[in-house]
This record gives sequence, structure tokens and C-alpha cells, in this order.
Amino acid sequence: MKKKKLKLPKCAPYSKAHERYLRKRRNDKIFVLFFQIIILVAFVGLWELLAQTRIIDPFFVSSPSRIFNMLSSLIESGTIWRHIGITLLETLCGFAIATLGGTLIAIILWWSEKLRRILEPYIVVLNSLPKIALGPIIILWVGSGMSAIIVMCVLICIVMTTITMLNAFNSCDFDKIQLMKSMRAKKIQIFWKLVLPSAMDEFISVLKINVGLAWVGTIMGEYLSSSAGLGYLIVYGSQIFRIDLVMTSTVILCVLAAVMYLLVSLLEKWHKR
Amino acid sequence: MDTLLRFDNVNFFYQTKKEEVHALQDLNFTVDELEFASIVGPSGCGKTTILSLIAGLLPVSSGSIILGGEKVGKNNHQQIGYMFQRDHLFEWRTIWKNITLGLELQKYENKEEKLAFAKELLQKYDLYGFQNRKPRELSGGMRQRVALIRTLVLEPKLLLLDEPFSALDFQTRLNVCDDVYEIIKSEKKTAILVTHDISEALSMSDKLIILSSRPATVKHIEMLKLNGETPLLRREDPRFGSLFDFVWKKLTNEKEKT
Repeated sequence: MKKKKLKLPKCAPYSKAHERYLRKRRNDKIFVLFFQIIILVAFVGLWELLAQTRIIDPFFVSSPSRIFNMLSSLIESGTIWRHIGITLLETLCGFAIATLGGTLIAIILWWSEKLRRILEPYIVVLNSLPKIALGPIIILWVGSGMSAIIVMCVLICIVMTTITMLNAFNSCDFDKIQLMKSMRAKKIQIFWKLVLPSAMDEFISVLKINVGLAWVGTIMGEYLSSSAGLGYLIVYGSQIFRIDLVMTSTVILCVLAAVMYLLVSLLEKWHKR
Repeated sequence: MDTLLRFDNVNFFYQTKKEEVHALQDLNFTVDELEFASIVGPSGCGKTTILSLIAGLLPVSSGSIILGGEKVGKNNHQQIGYMFQRDHLFEWRTIWKNITLGLELQKYENKEEKLAFAKELLQKYDLYGFQNRKPRELSGGMRQRVALIRTLVLEPKLLLLDEPFSALDFQTRLNVCDDVYEIIKSEKKTAILVTHDISEALSMSDKLIILSSRPATVKHIEMLKLNGETPLLRREDPRFGSLFDFVWKKLTNEKEKT
């Protein structure tokens, strides 16, 4: 079989050894990607096979073909877009409010060390509290529906955001701060020109974690009180024993979360450029 | 030469949970204009604290530090440039943005002149082609030169060097030592170097201040007149070895006391 020639940039003088190294790197990448696809295909194929041969009961575990059919009918009827839109809106609102709000609180706590020390035990308690316990109170305070779901989503993400960003601000190199002070920098300048840019890697990490947590918050909120959205579809599907609907909604959630994560990863790439 | 810096009976105490620590005791010394002074002493004796006091980052407990005829405080920050153990370049900024950082922090009437001076320094010290690069693309020696230029752009009268070569490997260290020394001399600056390295102190300085262990006092001041244009050449002076032994013994005595 003819060996495929490796494409190399024209400018660099590559040796044979370097060419071999580049080929190995490319082959490694292909190997990993191949097995990633194989696992997915094998999982879906095996699931379908077991469901078709009735080794597992599709009534309880559905099957890829039933999920596909359900998705097609939901797209045909057009109802799915409304549910996706509502869940996406709630998640994005919660994600944005929690990320910006948590960072703002972290900035205030970094600015005032005394305030941080006063509030520290409350933040620790809030962080360890299972936020779902606050569900009924949230509904009582802000009413049921979208606002309660966004509040739930914000509550789940904001404490973690505050703690992570505060740690990032506080771990800024002390000598660099001294350097800025020796140049007569004001506190606000130290923050904008040093502390905040130094914490950008942690901010990207917060965004990545919040992508996951925001979806958890939204779906938890929709479980508690909603009349539309993917979480509502999951609850509704389980109540009427339509496991296909539950699985289809879950698959859509997976895709949406992956897309959101991908966007944050692109942001990270741009930041590291 | 006129005296640029004078320490008059300077004491410094700091508080810990357990006790009050007397770090510096009745320090008296002077540094003349254009002089290169080095401070050596046992670990933890308070060498860096001295630089922080001069830079006004810490207040003296008693006594006074006079810089250019004025008591050290917030007003004479502009006369001081500080270089730390590591270059502390901001990785997210280009070399040019790093060099002009100090100019962004204050309103300077002659900002244009200072920017032109920054450009001139970049050209003079072979960094002009790198102004749009990020610090990670530069070698250790180049990074240290950038850090020095960042300090020089503000045209300070006195440079404080807090072990600026300690993070470099030995060979780079010798070369960067020469570079930094040449820049400081050609820009006509007064400098105070704090270091653990006796050879480095001897090869670079006109004056060597030896401190005792804590509470630090001035144990000995040695005026150095070694032959050689550069620190590397000064190491070849026949007196270098005996001076090294002399300082080594003084420091070893202090170590034994502690």
C-alpha cells in the first residue's frame, strides 16, 4: 500500500526524524479520535441491538431508533423549539448573572479584607448547603416559573464563582503587587492592570464549571416548578411513562451543554493566543 | 560625589502573633551618587526589608532615611526604581506594554519624551525587534534586561536590586550581571544590590555593606577598588580571592552566632 505523504509547512527544514515525530503525533491524534468514535458507535449500536432483540425492555430504557423517531416528531410538530428556547434562555441568564455577580462579589471581598473575614463563615455555609433545599423558599419569594428557575441556577453557580475568583485574586504574586506599589500604582490600578488579568485563567475555569452547573440549576429548577422547558419534558415524560421523551430531552441537553462548553473552549483558545 | 542616600540610626520592628521582632538596629550608612553599593548578610537578617524601607513600602520605626535631601516617604517614590528577584514581567502584555507600564500609572507632563526614551533604551540594548513579542518568547537574560528598562524608563535616581539574578542559571547569571552593570553605569544611575552571592557583590560594587544577623546592624563597610571594566573581568583581580575570604569569614562568624 502506498504510504500517504505527510503535509508539512514549506518554510521549515524538516529532518527525517522530525518528520517521523510529526507523523507519530498525527497518528496518535487519529488513534484517540478513532476510539472515541468507536465507543460512541458501539454504545449506540449495542443499545439498539439489545432493545431490538428484547434483551432489554425499550419501555424502560428506550432505544436510539425510538429516540430518533421521537426527535423527528417533536421537530415536525415544532414544539421542541419552544422547550429548547426556554431552557436555553433560563440557563444563559443564570450563567451570566452568576458569573458576573460572583466575580463582582469576589472583587468587593478582595478589596475589603475585613469584609471578607466577616463574611467567610457565611460563604462556607452557603457553599456546603444543598441549594435544592431552598427550592420551596425560592418559589414562595419570587413565584413559580422562569424567575424561580433562574434564581435556582444563579444560587447553584454564584457561591462557587465567588470562592474560586476570590482565591484567584488573593493568589496574585505578592512581589508583583509590591512592584506596582513601588511605581506608585493606586489600588484600582493594581486591580485592573495586575490582579484581574492574572486571574483570567481561573475565570475561564469558572466559565467551564459554570457551564455544567448552570444546566444542573436550570433542570433542577424546572423539576421543581415549570410548565415548559427540557426539564419539564423530562418530568412530564416520566409521569406518563414515555421514556422516549425523557431520553430525547436528555440527549438534547447533552448536545446543548457540549456546544456551550465548546464555545467556552474557543474563548480559552483565543485568550491563550 | 554627593551623598544620595543616608541611613541615620534606622530601627525597624515588626509584630508577630508571638512577639515584637527587632529586625534592624541603629543602621547607619550612606550611598553616594553614581555609587554601586551591595548589601550582604546572613539569611533572614533583613536585607530586603532595607530595600522596602528605602522604597517607602514599609515605614521606619525610628531614625530616618534621607534620599536626595528629603525624608523617604510617598513624595520621593519617583526617585526610586525597584527590581525584584524575578523579572515579574506581565505575561499577557507585550514587551513594549511591559516597559511602559509605569508610564500608564501616573500622569507625566513629559510622557512623550519618556516614551521616546523607552524606544531609545530598547534600541540601545538590542530589544527593539522584540517590542511586540510576549515575555514568554524571550530568554532569561533578555527578560531581565526588559525588567531593568521598565525601571529605567521612569528615570529613577536610585535603583534597588533585590537579588535580581538569583533565578538565573550560573552562565546566564554572569552574562546578565555584565549587561545590567553596563546599563546602570552607562545610564549614570546609583544602585543598591541585595544579594546572597559574595562573588556577585564583590564583582559589581564600589561599596560593600556587611550586615550582622538579626537584629541587623552594619558590621563592616568595605570600599572596593577592583580592577576591571566589567564584573566578569573584576573577578580576575588578584585581590578578589582574599576579599572573598574576608567577607566569607565575617558572614560565617555571624552564622555561628545565630
